[in-house]
Amino acid sequence: MPTRLVELTARSQRLIVFSLIAIGLGFLIVVQLRSQAAVARTLAAQDDTSVALLINDLNRANNELMQQSAVLAEQQAQLQQALTAGGADSQALTKELTTLREVNGAVAVHGPGLEIRIQGPVMDFELQDAFNNLRNAGAEAISLNGYRIVASTSVVSRGDILMVAGHAVGTPLDMLVIGDAEQLGPAADLSASSLQTRVQVSIQRQNDLSITEVVIPRPLIYAQLGR
Amino acid sequence: MTVLASVSLATFLVAGLAATQFRSQPLPPSNRFARDEALRKSVNQLEDQNRVLKSRVQTLQADVKAGEDESARRSSAAQEVKGQLDEQKTFAGQTALHGPGLTVLLHDGTDPNSPVDHSLGWTVHYQDLQDIVNVLWASGAEAIAVNGQRIVPSTAFHYAGVNILVNNASRLSGPYTVIALGDPPALANGVGNPDQLAELKSRNRIYGLGFSWLRSSRLSVAAYDATFLMKYANPLG
Repeated sequence: MPTRLVELTARSQRLIVFSLIAIGLGFLIVVQLRSQAAVARTLAAQDDTSVALLINDLNRANNELMQQSAVLAEQQAQLQQALTAGGADSQALTKELTTLREVNGAVAVHGPGLEIRIQGPVMDFELQDAFNNLRNAGAEAISLNGYRIVASTSVVSRGDILMVAGHAVGTPLDMLVIGDAEQLGPAADLSASSLQTRVQVSIQRQNDLSITEVVIPRPLIYAQLGR
Repeated sequence: MTVLASVSLATFLVAGLAATQFRSQPLPPSNRFARDEALRKSVNQLEDQNRVLKSRVQTLQADVKAGEDESARRSSAAQEVKGQLDEQKTFAGQTALHGPGLTVLLHDGTDPNSPVDHSLGWTVHYQDLQDIVNVLWASGAEAIAVNGQRIVPSTAFHYAGVNILVNNASRLSGPYTVIALGDPPALANGVGNPDQLAELKSRNRIYGLGFSWLRSSRLSVAAYDATFLMKYANPLG
């Protein structure tokens, strides 16, 4: 009798375990199907032009990511080679440090790009749009009337006064942008076309221009390392 | 034997029904349908590739970091550079951070379906996100992320048709969550300032476009999921 009881208990336990697994699997399958449907529905609702533009952007981003992978792989190989030889390659670290200083606007830079002059008053959002368009076209360094523009540079209108990084800037606005002039040109034209009804905008391509202004990053007071 | 025969018969019937169903699918009325499908399939494939590439970049970044850490342990020169490198990585958004801050929530409002209002003021535009991010920087934010995407020096919001893209073609969709680390009262004052984001606040009243914010004592932002390349800019001197 106890043996039969043990068998019954074991069978019941197996049944419960199988049922739970089945319920869990069923739930996961439904959730998966529902999320796939939601994503597909979003994409399916879009017109062909939107989808074609998305494809173009994805191709561009994927090419960029491939280039990033190649650079990182080379960096890693260089570090590893020195480590295998029993030493350390501080040059590889210095190279990365230089790139990051350029990215953060902490060093003066030069290179090809555009010189843009805006003669007339513009609003903060118009200038933000221009920076945004230029970054999207691959701008690597930007300055405006002697101020280096980085991600955290604020652009705010206070009445008729345009404040950039907390400083009032007057017209004309002289913008220097370093990057691929072929890519930057159409982005600058786009911003200019929306401004030219009110103000005069001139765009000059330059083979080599210099941005000497730098920004000193604000120390973190509230944010701390780690998630 | 009977059970086996029954199962075989049932399988045969189900397979037959499936085949009939498959054959009875109508052919697309024109090439248009097939073209649409092909375009959407391309997007899915490219987005899959995008995810794989980002993951590859992150793996390589981790390998490079391990190499840098080991180099710093072996050489005092490398150790000195490594300290500066870590600092610049933090400023560039390549490090996850946490701390007090503000969460800004944004979602589409209600389509008025009005024959005279074609403004699309009820939807969230990329410029709204750009404006919020700008106000948060101006209010002293130390780090910002939008729907998990860290705002870094190369970040640009833009439209690809109706899609809002950011950071290497990451597609953003509503509801939008902007997280900013910094002094919560200062950040809330910036966003709440009646002179700032006035157009967004007006659309909040007219169309019910969702726009709210919440102070928090602990929030976190992920590190940027890619790296930076400088192809044209070179250091002076």
